[in-house]
Amino acid sequence: MADDDVPSDSSLLVIIVDTNPNQRYITEDPKVLTGCLDAIIAFANSHLMQKSRNQLAVIGCHFHKSEYLYPSPGKPLDVRQVDGQYELFTLVEKTIKMRLVNLIKSQPQEERPGESLLAGALAMALCFISRMRKQAPPGLRLCSRILVITGSSDTAAQYINYMNVFFTAQKQQVLLDVCSLDKHLSLLQQGCDITGGLYLKVPSLDGLLQYLLWVFLPEARERRELVLPGRGRVDYRAACFCHRELLTIGYVCSVCLSVFCKFSPICTTCHTVFKIAGPLAIKPKKKKMKI
Amino acid sequence: MADDDQDPKEYRWETGYEKTWEAIKEDEDGLVEGLVAEFAQKAARKAAAPRRGPIRLGMMRHLLVAIDCSEAMNSQDLKPMRFLCTLKLLEKFVEEFFDQNPLSQLGIIAIKNKRAEKVTELSGNVRKHIKAVQGLSNQALTGEPSLQNTLELAGRILRPLPGHASRELLVLFASLTTCDPSDINTTIQSLKTDGIRCSVIGLAAEVRICKKLCQDTGGEYGVVLDDVHYRSLLLEQTTPPARARALDAGLVKMGFPFTPPAEQPDADPPITLCMCHVEEGEGVGGEGHLCPQCRSKYCSLPAQCRTCGLTLASAPHLARSYHHLFPVEPYEELPNEGQAQFCFSCLRSYTDVDKTIFRCNRCTEHYCWECEGLISSTMHVCPGCASRPHLCQRLPDAS
Ligand SMILES: [Zn+2]
Ligand SMILES: [Zn+2]
Ligand SMILES: [Zn+2]
Ligand SMILES: [Zn+2]
Ligand SMILES: [Zn+2]
Repeated sequence: MADDDVPSDSSLLVIIVDTNPNQRYITEDPKVLTGCLDAIIAFANSHLMQKSRNQLAVIGCHFHKSEYLYPSPGKPLDVRQVDGQYELFTLVEKTIKMRLVNLIKSQPQEERPGESLLAGALAMALCFISRMRKQAPPGLRLCSRILVITGSSDTAAQYINYMNVFFTAQKQQVLLDVCSLDKHLSLLQQGCDITGGLYLKVPSLDGLLQYLLWVFLPEARERRELVLPGRGRVDYRAACFCHRELLTIGYVCSVCLSVFCKFSPICTTCHTVFKIAGPLAIKPKKKKMKI
Repeated sequence: MADDDQDPKEYRWETGYEKTWEAIKEDEDGLVEGLVAEFAQKAARKAAAPRRGPIRLGMMRHLLVAIDCSEAMNSQDLKPMRFLCTLKLLEKFVEEFFDQNPLSQLGIIAIKNKRAEKVTELSGNVRKHIKAVQGLSNQALTGEPSLQNTLELAGRILRPLPGHASRELLVLFASLTTCDPSDINTTIQSLKTDGIRCSVIGLAAEVRICKKLCQDTGGEYGVVLDDVHYRSLLLEQTTPPARARALDAGLVKMGFPFTPPAEQPDADPPITLCMCHVEEGEGVGGEGHLCPQCRSKYCSLPAQCRTCGLTLASAPHLARSYHHLFPVEPYEELPNEGQAQFCFSCLRSYTDVDKTIFRCNRCTEHYCWECEGLISSTMHVCPGCASRPHLCQRLPDAS
């Protein structure tokens, strides 16, 4: 976003699709996933259509691991033109569907699906973006963003990973957009706020493609001229290290900044022993009167 | 400033030539390309090597940086010019400062033609400061600076701050003279009484009054030898001063202001007064952060509640530094023997140029050297581990 006054020559979009089978919209009706996937593929192709040099990657985030759905590592699939469709679009669709089937098949049968580990997928996306930047021909203005599409909830368990990834994205000037299909995601919303991206919880899945095209297709520079959903209030509460619960009042170790919900005489993170028997009382400063 | 205990290797003319060309040998096909790439990889990794030693973070520092904008900044002994070199290094300094000093605030002052002017207010907003620093590049450099006016302004900004927070001033001073309205020693004494620590980095030669200022207020004085030395002197200022470090370790009660979304979004927000602007009589109404203990309102964070004394912050203020606490385990560097075809994280296929690849011993994935660099120096998250359910947790166990 540093030079967002000049139009970019190419824009790189990394889409992270949450494919975890325990998302509520999938458990209620497994067929909805196919519909969502079609919307996402159509959205991805619209992105490629915007500019001939636009680039795309799609990462599937399953409960046991995350994997690239597009591009496929090594040689691309061999596709022939189907009913006049632009070959690249067919390649995108075929690759994503085939690799998604493989990803789902590889899930361990004995393990119960846990939460979606989106922070890991975000870390992969940032590595991919950094590689594409290094490979870009000199002088090419490449702007990059990540879009997370998920119906999971975010928990404080991945808190530190999320924060590290958000700050890396901020440093690398990568926008993080989040499209929530179900619940309000307060941690990911913080990420959007930190990186200057957009956060949207879609009111219904039926119009998913419209929401994607309307809100998330324009790149950063174009967004300023559009009326898009407001930032709203971002919940910036901290999560305690002991229970990973969001707090409005907590105790912070002055040595390592770990957050705890209760006072304890020793910091479990850095093992500092606190001298004072009670919480450090900070008295409000009394103003010195000067005559 | 003890110049004698500096590592002499730091100065370019003393490190000698690195005879890099001697190491370049042709391979069997008479090509040097692969070796050059290997060199580049090694150099990049060396540059990215993290600092060693235990990390102590500085909390709640308040630092003003005053930049000399007088004629003396025109000199070209630092490339391309003293002033531009200063601005370039300051950008890095701002980033680094907030990385090392979460919950701290920075303010920038410009010393122009016998006056001192605020460029940015004290705040924790990294981008605002960097923008302001970049904006200074068109500044006309004329006249003589006034050190005393600078100190007076810094005193006015820093004095009202709460007692337990550090108050510091860093002056980047190129001029060898100062043009002051009255006796500067009185000003120095009053800064000393108020516990304001002043440090000076001189860009030309040692100036007696600067040295006295630093000695009296407990700051550090250094004179720049070249740009590399300048950079290290400046970055030294990002490490919390000993006084701040010596403060007793404690568990600080802290508030994280949070307002749940309004039930009736159309209703007018109640009229409230922002405590940071009470004295100026501004800040009525509008958005703000409410102290969770006493409901006083503040327009920006971090802040200390003036009513109940609670330190108010938001989660990212703390989280910016967590990577110091939970670093990634270093990857193992292995010769590339075809263990993996492509990098797990960026999907780049390994070629003959990749003589070594990196393996994470927790998730057993393989990474290219570029990703390894990004992960160990900036991201501090292993992409493979972070996407595995049994490896992603990095907090101490709840049990
Ligand atoms: Zn807790
Ligand atoms: Zn601690
Ligand atoms: Zn309060
Ligand atoms: Zn890589
Ligand atoms: Zn790993």
